[in-house]
Amino acid sequence: MGRFVVYLTAHPIHRRVRTFAMTEPMAISRKLRAVPVLKIDDRGSLASVLTRCGRGDQAAFATLYDQLAPYVHGVVLRVVRDQSQSEEVTQEVFVELWRLAARFDGEKGSAKAWVSTVAHRRAVDRVRSEQSARDRLDNESQKRVVDTDVVVESVEASFDQARVRRALTQLTPAQREAVELAYFGALTYREVAALLGIAEGTIKSRIRDGMIRLRDELGTDAS
Amino acid sequence: MSSELDLHHLAAAYALNALDADERIAFEAHYHGCPVCSLDVGDFRATVAALGELSITAPSADVKARVLQQVATTRQLSPIVATRSIAPSRRPSMLAAAAAVLLIVATTAFVVGRGSQPDDAFAAQLEHVMAQPDVRIVDLPAISNATAGHISVAWSASTGKIAVIGDGLSSLADGSVYELWLIDETGPLPASMLDAAVNGEMRRVLTLPGAAVRWGITIEPAAGSATPTGDVLFLGDA
Repeated sequence: MGRFVVYLTAHPIHRRVRTFAMTEPMAISRKLRAVPVLKIDDRGSLASVLTRCGRGDQAAFATLYDQLAPYVHGVVLRVVRDQSQSEEVTQEVFVELWRLAARFDGEKGSAKAWVSTVAHRRAVDRVRSEQSARDRLDNESQKRVVDTDVVVESVEASFDQARVRRALTQLTPAQREAVELAYFGALTYREVAALLGIAEGTIKSRIRDGMIRLRDELGTDAS
Repeated sequence: MSSELDLHHLAAAYALNALDADERIAFEAHYHGCPVCSLDVGDFRATVAALGELSITAPSADVKARVLQQVATTRQLSPIVATRSIAPSRRPSMLAAAAAVLLIVATTAFVVGRGSQPDDAFAAQLEHVMAQPDVRIVDLPAISNATAGHISVAWSASTGKIAVIGDGLSSLADGSVYELWLIDETGPLPASMLDAAVNGEMRRVLTLPGAAVRWGITIEPAAGSATPTGDVLFLGDA
């Protein structure tokens, strides 16, 4: 695949890795790369809506809900799977966002990243409290077969999705498997290792290397 | 527990919620004070947020009404809370409670498993509290940007015993300690001096003078205060 890797800083623990593709497989990839930061990593409007929510503005919160409900519910549903349980968790996530809104700190990251963190953690907590790791792995294996048909609701969403999909193809299959089992399957890296029969350290490295590559492909590094 | 070097490698797994409770606690205690890991966590959370774009799905329409109805009766946490304005809340966060359970359970396993000085006394006391049939585990999240770390308590009303477990706490200036307050509609009542959290850790089992609606923790002069002189930094529903 004609790739090479550049280590930007010397310390092995702290190294921040950038990867560059030497060949562009499709014309569309150049177009996608022309956008420096994901549209979804929006530091402006969502953050200001969230700030208003933090002051107790319920109308702003209704706006926040309208903007984020398909995103939050999508994350939750993908992890929890059961429709009615997912709607319960989605509701819990939004109430949690309301409670915590005043503590959102735009200096530490985008509003979308903050919302994603709350939603995914809540979904993961729900699943881990109710399903064994084996069930989660089995669910994930079945789900991945049909996972290519995600509903695309807008041009903007399809644009973002195309970039994320393309970025995922830049991971090795082993990296992609480890990241997807962790994110979508709600598995800890130790559970991934145990269930695949692979050393924990290897899975930890795959997750880390895969996430570094994804970050670089997507331009989601703030630094 | 993980070594310092291992901790640096956990930012990606942490952002994916792919750490076990013990490593998650250790990493959270570490990363706020580590500039590299803080950056990594920020980056990887943004990356994880992008993965969420793959599954956009609207919930059914009635979820919105339920959310807005619940929000209308749900009190928000403030970034910094003036002690006198604290009012009781009847909706403890299940997420916070789950996090507190993980912290306490992990700590119990850890101190019992380690079985070394000087944790033996604390381990025995913590086990005693955890063995009470009415034990409740409550999260006291940081509500101020002015502090770091995380505090959870295990509380048994029948015995009046409370185990306080803190990690990743800010180290205090000489002459200052953390102090626990029982808070109800009438205001805060001093419950107990805690300690200065050596190495960011707090491990105490106390007997409480009475019941509370909420628990709060402030930083006070070592001699203690009758009313809080500092902002409430950690707060949780009793």
